[in-house]
Amino acid sequence: MPCERKPMRYGHSEGHTEVCFDDSGKFIVTCGNDGDVRIWEGLDDDDPKFITVGEKAYSLALKNGKLVTASSNNTVQIHTFPDGDPDGILTRFTTNATHVVFNSSGSRVAAGSSDFMVKVVEVSDSSQQKTLRGHEAPVLSVTFDPKDDFLASASCDGSVVVWNIEEQSQLISWPVLQKTNDISNAKSLCRLAWQPGTAKFLAVPVETKVHLYERGSWDHVSTLSDDLQTQLINVVAWSPCGQFLAAGSVGGSLTVWDVNSKLCVERYKHEKGFTVCSLAWHPSGSQIVYTDTEGCLGLLDGLTKKAAKDYDDLFDDDDDDRLMDEGLSETNSPVKKPITGDDDDDDDDFLMPATGRVRNRGAILDDENSLDTGSLKLGQDKFGDDDDTGSVVVPAAAPLVPMRPVYEGPMPTAPQKAFQPGSTPAHLTHRFMMWNSVGIVRGYNDEQDNAIDVEFHDTAVHHAMHLTNSLGHTMADLSQEAVLLACPSTDELASKLQCLHFSSWDTNKEWMVDLPEGEDVRALCLGQGWAAVATSALMLRLFSIGGIQREIFSLPGNVVCMVGHGEQLLIVYHRAPGFDGEQALGVQLLQFGRKKRQLINGEPLPLSLQSHLSWLGFTAEGTPCYVDSVGVVRMLNRSLGNTWTPVCNTRETCKSKSDHYWVVGIHENPQQLRCIPCKGSRYPPTLPRPAVAILPFKLPLCQTSTEKGQMEEQFWRSVLFHNHFSFLSSSGYEIDEDGQSQTQKEQQELLMKMFALSCKLEREFRCVELAELMTQNVVTLAIRYASRSRRMALAQRLSEIALEKANQIQEEEPEEQEEEPEYSGVRRTSGLRNVLMGYVQVLGSGKPSSSSGLPRVTNILDNMTSSRKSSPLSRSAGIPSKGPVLKPLAPRPKTKTGFQFWLEENRKSITADQPDLEETDIIKEAMGRFRTLSAEERLVRNTKGFREEGLGHMSSGHEGKVKRSRYFYSTNKAQNSTTLPR
Amino acid sequence: MDSSEVEFLAEKEMVKIIPNFSLDRIYLIGGDLGPFNPGLPVDVPVWLALNLKQRQKCRIVPPAWMDVEKLEEMRELERKEDTFTPVPSPYYMELTKLLLNYASDNIPKADEIRTLVKDIWDTRIAKLRLSADSFISQLEAHAKLDNLTLMEINTIRAFLLDSLNCMYKLRSNLQPGSSKGQFTDY
Repeated sequence: MPCERKPMRYGHSEGHTEVCFDDSGKFIVTCGNDGDVRIWEGLDDDDPKFITVGEKAYSLALKNGKLVTASSNNTVQIHTFPDGDPDGILTRFTTNATHVVFNSSGSRVAAGSSDFMVKVVEVSDSSQQKTLRGHEAPVLSVTFDPKDDFLASASCDGSVVVWNIEEQSQLISWPVLQKTNDISNAKSLCRLAWQPGTAKFLAVPVETKVHLYERGSWDHVSTLSDDLQTQLINVVAWSPCGQFLAAGSVGGSLTVWDVNSKLCVERYKHEKGFTVCSLAWHPSGSQIVYTDTEGCLGLLDGLTKKAAKDYDDLFDDDDDDRLMDEGLSETNSPVKKPITGDDDDDDDDFLMPATGRVRNRGAILDDENSLDTGSLKLGQDKFGDDDDTGSVVVPAAAPLVPMRPVYEGPMPTAPQKAFQPGSTPAHLTHRFMMWNSVGIVRGYNDEQDNAIDVEFHDTAVHHAMHLTNSLGHTMADLSQEAVLLACPSTDELASKLQCLHFSSWDTNKEWMVDLPEGEDVRALCLGQGWAAVATSALMLRLFSIGGIQREIFSLPGNVVCMVGHGEQLLIVYHRAPGFDGEQALGVQLLQFGRKKRQLINGEPLPLSLQSHLSWLGFTAEGTPCYVDSVGVVRMLNRSLGNTWTPVCNTRETCKSKSDHYWVVGIHENPQQLRCIPCKGSRYPPTLPRPAVAILPFKLPLCQTSTEKGQMEEQFWRSVLFHNHFSFLSSSGYEIDEDGQSQTQKEQQELLMKMFALSCKLEREFRCVELAELMTQNVVTLAIRYASRSRRMALAQRLSEIALEKANQIQEEEPEEQEEEPEYSGVRRTSGLRNVLMGYVQVLGSGKPSSSSGLPRVTNILDNMTSSRKSSPLSRSAGIPSKGPVLKPLAPRPKTKTGFQFWLEENRKSITADQPDLEETDIIKEAMGRFRTLSAEERLVRNTKGFREEGLGHMSSGHEGKVKRSRYFYSTNKAQNSTTLPR
Repeated sequence: MDSSEVEFLAEKEMVKIIPNFSLDRIYLIGGDLGPFNPGLPVDVPVWLALNLKQRQKCRIVPPAWMDVEKLEEMRELERKEDTFTPVPSPYYMELTKLLLNYASDNIPKADEIRTLVKDIWDTRIAKLRLSADSFISQLEAHAKLDNLTLMEINTIRAFLLDSLNCMYKLRSNLQPGSSKGQFTDY
């Protein structure tokens, strides 16, 4: 009889507690040492109703809307249920009552007391009392005969007595218990129980066994025992059908016997091993509640339902199998099975598949040795007897259901549901369906209105829209071109995808697509010129923005969410079930456009421990990033093999534990994390309109409180947030070159600062490491710094690095330009080396004012300044258009090699010589001529190209800014008001 | 000083707006403003905020003190104390008036705020009159009033100075004249 043990929960303060169900089974009612009776609407009820009945409550009974309690003021009181109004005092004792019970009809109450007396009181008229005297010690427990003739009581004097209520006389007494002088010293509470319905048996817990006495003959007819039951049984309770008997022990074990077969059908262990001091069956017989002496409340669920099902399964089998099956299930009697939690059993858990048959077989293999036919026969015999009385309707095979092994390994986590990043939960009546960098889509779904509002941050994109949501859309995405909406399927209607293509230049601004039957939209997103939809059939469907169906492919798992940006599509899906609160997510990054390819191929998505994905998106520059529920923002690092780097922990800036930041967008340049602070919740309400805040990024490097750590963090953050430039240029977008050179400059400055710091700290090795990260011309500065601070060894090493770097740059060039002939690398290098060595020597010889030194030295510095002027990168600055960050490619000024310079100069002469040449032929011809040039001349050409490319970076950004501000000054003077938009 | 001049000064106060357009940083004599990103809050002077608002280029985020609960607290405090309590902004009256007149749709519970600020204003002006009255009636030479705003000073300045001048004249004529009995038969 497999059933579910619900986790224990706090019920009362420490001490004796009692529990019962109300007549309907709707409420669990408990009383405890704190004097309260609590009425729980279920185990998960966090706010139970309570009735205070006294300083302490010792026992309670509930029937017909009357709650009877034994409290510390020596009375037995009645309260109405569930209202909890006091309804009088039923009886009093000279000391406190220990146990109260109702009879089966609810007309009488019996109470046992520590003053050795048992009283039977009519509920309707408390003056009609019968007192049963005869016990010589406090009464432990009382129970009514369901037919109302007798009453049984147990006492600390060691006896269990059956009384005739009418005659108020002892009928029989069994000295089966241990003698003690008080309840507090009694080892067991010895709660008696009379079989309901037929009233045939009285169950008496005697040490580790339960004795069954037959009504009438008062013979001890049988004993229920369990080999594994080693502790004293505290309480027993009959199931409402009278077929099962549950017992709770001092050591916290719960055992359920089938009385007909005398076999244990269920065995559980209290999770902490506390003493079970009360037990009650649900009126339907499907649940058992229990409480322990620590005041905790527990529940076993699914008892008889499962039993009935297993029984059905058995008889659904083919006739041929039936006998064997019966045999199997009998041999699987849990009496012989090792206790749950035992190591052997754990192994079984993993090996046994879920089907009943195979499980049985597995059990046989385990239990063959201990097969006990004797006990089986006993069960069969008993069945025969019971059949005569007609009280039992269940055949013998039925109760012998196998006990399902309890699995105690890691538990799978519920997979997180699909969601749209930037939306608030769908169950809200007013919600954000999408909040992204383009605008806001709000959904209203209340009595008055079912509508969708679309609003754009930038009204230049489109004016706000108000749509009636007749289809019941639940998902939305918004881009500069269109609004995409989708609804799940209903009974009649298929799942629909609706696109409002507002940027279309024709008159039809809307299209709609029905998904095939049985396929639901789970997630959707918009890119530039395309829309993507992930469906419940693990399918990804691509559409053009105009409504043409495009590629379709299968997803490896259930989609969690996806986002699009430009030509990139990022999909996150469930890879596998996660365990112990983790989610196992996978990520795919695809790129469309001319070269369609998959950039990230289903790699696991790293999440913080015990968290789920809460936001997924691209930075405005097109780098994928995501936020998990713990608040850590991670960004793709394309330069480190597509790894994910944590760039911010939003929880660090939260003031209180329940505050969160709801991320709406990320920008790399300037570095901004745009989010909405939510006080005490995970997402913002639609009203009042939330305001966007900006958080800074911070890489979680060590020791960021120190100057060194700070600079390292700044540097690597700058490097990370600089990656998008190379990505954008490689995928053919125009890039903000000002910004790029600015960040490069910033990085080099940081490196120089770190260099200076390391120099100060006498960490020369570290200096060299830093120099390796520098560009060649900054290394020259570093050399200067080193030689000024009289670190000759360092300067020497740095000059070597500078040479290497110079070589690298020059080696890269010919690779780029493959036509370049074999070059005289040795010569060039040696030439440069001379230059640098000379430089070092000059500085080392104590003449830092280098300009007066060797002409070669001044040459280097001159180059730097002169290249500043001729830099091709310093564009004439205007108002940089601030529109979408992605711009189609403008022909990018390519870095020119020496050959190209030469070609430009000499093109005319070539064309003059041979005017009928095609473009490619001209280049071929030019190549030939270039090769014939002397090595020196080529070197000049090459270095010219190199200078213009390499040295331009440092200065251009600064210059651009100066120019721009000058520009503004003039425009402001001329027409101040026109700079404002209108 | 005219009250419109005080209002002009108040327009220099900074207020947060959420623009719905995008514009790079603008360089003005009074300082640089921006950059303006759609949907991202930015601080601008009130005059610009109102200008943009009137052209429907932005939403104004009301200042933190422009909140019913905070103003109610302030009103209670103002009523309880005999002296002037500190005000949330040196231009609270002007800002309230300007923002509520031009951007009441961006300010939740605009009517209540209007009433509350008016209440505070009335309480303070009443206190001001009362202190002016006691100042004159007790023939004090000087008085010190803390936490007055420019607008409040401005409302009473003209009247108070004129009347003090007038009284001075009267007294200066009266004292030497009393012996002469110049006014006795007036």
